[in-house]
Amino acid sequence: MTATGMDTVLAEWDDVVEAIEKCYELGWTDGLPVVPPTSGRVGQFLDRAGRPAGEALGSIPERRREVTVEKVAANAVMAGCLPEYMPVVLAATEAMLDPAFNLVGPSSSMGGAGILLIVNGPIVRELDMNCGNNLFGPGNRANSTIGRAIRLILINACASIPGLFDRSVLGHPGKFSYCVAENEADTHWAPLHVERGFSPEQSAVTVFACDAPRSLRMAATPETMLAGVADVASSLGTSMANSGSVGDTSAMVRQGEIGVVVAGTSDVWDGWSKADVRDYLHPLVRRSLADLRRVKAVPGEIEPGDDQRYVSLVPAPEDILLVFAGGAEANTCAVIPSWGPKVGSTAVTRAVR
Amino acid sequence: MALKTRTQHTLVDPTTQPIPTSFSGAPRLKDLRGKRLGLIDDSKPNGKELLEELTDLLKDRFGVSDVVYHRKPSASKPADPEMVARMGREVDYAIVAIGD
Repeated sequence: MTATGMDTVLAEWDDVVEAIEKCYELGWTDGLPVVPPTSGRVGQFLDRAGRPAGEALGSIPERRREVTVEKVAANAVMAGCLPEYMPVVLAATEAMLDPAFNLVGPSSSMGGAGILLIVNGPIVRELDMNCGNNLFGPGNRANSTIGRAIRLILINACASIPGLFDRSVLGHPGKFSYCVAENEADTHWAPLHVERGFSPEQSAVTVFACDAPRSLRMAATPETMLAGVADVASSLGTSMANSGSVGDTSAMVRQGEIGVVVAGTSDVWDGWSKADVRDYLHPLVRRSLADLRRVKAVPGEIEPGDDQRYVSLVPAPEDILLVFAGGAEANTCAVIPSWGPKVGSTAVTRAVR
Repeated sequence: MALKTRTQHTLVDPTTQPIPTSFSGAPRLKDLRGKRLGLIDDSKPNGKELLEELTDLLKDRFGVSDVVYHRKPSASKPADPEMVARMGREVDYAIVAIGD
């Protein structure tokens, strides 16, 4: 601790490459070079945040660690953020430390979750975030570095160190950075955060522990696109289509939330609200008991009639997180299965302050 | 030629350390005869079966006066704190099973 109250480390270097190498030596990176978190730069981020450096945003009690505004600032600097991104990184950190998110699960599990951030509200335009082409890909500083800041916070401040507490068997590329914004301007659909209780004038971040997105190309009608979404969401081998590791086995499988991102033009969805889409889709995300038993996802021998008995993989229509975003050139969708059962981690939305 | 002095910089540490909490363990039991047993099943496959088998063995060998069983809502969630507190009051020893 210094007179400023911050946890600091003294280091020596004469040029920027040495500085970056020092951060590697200290074990602070995700494998890519970071911006060194000098006290001056972190101070700028704290000033922009306008919140006390020592303010606790939440904790990961199983690892007895608390995450403060200062730790968020240091990691946001390293990720390459600008100071004005701090409110989004802080809100996302608060969301993932909410007990309902149960961070210890998705941040340690063999399932290898990424933590997807979905940003809504005026902050999307203010930070020039990408909600269009190449939604999940590279190219936008705010999306790339805010998502990366969350991963660095997980590694450094939450001890989700690969091979130590992070026991992912495969992981996925979204574990480097996984941050998108909804395209609220070009759709008649209600924004995700409004559906989750916030006003359109507010900005908010939703965190969702999930697998990688799987893109789909389907003919551009609601029914054809949702048939593709349902087919992929009902795949064998997802967390949702497995049993075990949940206390209540009455549903036969774990059941989890799913993310569905819809790109293209909104006119395809004329006459459909988000609630209509969810209500249409929910009964289609299912698998026959025979299929589940054949691959031992559900224990027991296949019994006559099991091919006509269906098991729902998503608890309720509200557990489908529907987002309008991506390029306008083609009516493409993405399906994002949850990392685990909803009882093990639930998506959480927090206001950007 | 004078030795070159490298420039010193102050970095803010982005990592955290665990915050130690105080812990007082219960005294070790001298024998298991007739004691009250607590079981925590992590809800992974076979955890329950393992605990049932173990309970039968304990009953045969030592006698068990009472059993309190808790199945976690999800393997990735901690045991229900109320249940843990109840076991603290109502059992003499507890066994946690991790299935798979």
